[in-house]
Amino acid sequence: MRIETCYFCSSRIYPGHGIQFVRNDCKIFKFCRSKCHAAFKKKKNPRKVKWTKAYRKTVGKELAVDPSFEFEKRRNTPLKYNRELWSKTVDAMKKVELIRQKRQNTHIMQRLRKGRELEQERDVKEVQRDLSLIRSPAAGLKERKKLEEVNEQDDKMDNSDEEMEAEAIEVTG
Amino acid sequence: MTYKRRKYHKGDTHLKKGWRTKRRTKDLDEIDDDIKEENAKKLLNQQVDFDKPGAAQHYCVHCARYFINDRALQDHFATKVHKRRLKALELEPYSIEESERAAGRGNYIAPQKRKIETLTKEDLDDLDADTDAVSPAKIMKTDD
Repeated sequence: MRIETCYFCSSRIYPGHGIQFVRNDCKIFKFCRSKCHAAFKKKKNPRKVKWTKAYRKTVGKELAVDPSFEFEKRRNTPLKYNRELWSKTVDAMKKVELIRQKRQNTHIMQRLRKGRELEQERDVKEVQRDLSLIRSPAAGLKERKKLEEVNEQDDKMDNSDEEMEAEAIEVTG
Repeated sequence: MTYKRRKYHKGDTHLKKGWRTKRRTKDLDEIDDDIKEENAKKLLNQQVDFDKPGAAQHYCVHCARYFINDRALQDHFATKVHKRRLKALELEPYSIEESERAAGRGNYIAPQKRKIETLTKEDLDDLDADTDAVSPAKIMKTDD
């Protein structure tokens, strides 16, 4: 017994399910259900159909490259039954699956974190743009004008002092 | 006496007929194989077959279509259908192995982009001529 993978959506095909199509170059295409078969007949590209695994991996929605994917392999040589080996492999499979799921979950969380950052940036931008709604630009206008007037008076005093000095230098020269 | 027609509605049979597997046209991964030089040479230099359009002398490898004459073929190269096909062939085609990798049997590596140009009989002949021209020179050098 072998659990096959669907050509279109990459899901599992259990015995007795789905349909096969053998192309005239002897390639066998296996489909999990009529939905996938119909999509294949219509020449849809699985990389562009959003509900397939291929789409989710090309777009980066799911973990695509990881050493934990290297364990599952198609082995065409039959092995003689060995209870010890069997129990060990079952244990190992469980462990690998645990680790893989943990990594996949962290990958998704990392992906979502990016969105939160962008959201924060957008919020900061919006507040800065519409600051006038929070604090009126006219607030404290009178005080600022008074300050400016005081500064101007000070500047005038300074300028007159400098002019006097310059004249004095010219005379000595 | 006339009878009432039984079937008025044809439904979407005209669409479904096109999707039947017996009318299946070449897939992108098959065409990807055809583009390889040795296969393209065979397809572009076919024997005269009067059952095919234009006796199978004017073939577009990328669209897997026969044309009746050279004019029709050249016009086809300028069409949107052909250009769209070239664009579709740029990415490596989807395969059964890729579907398995997507299912978690090995790492899923994103497909690579390539540069694809229309292949014609003349192009291939030129390539041949070039290789022929180059090879004697190489032999001469080794002789020296």
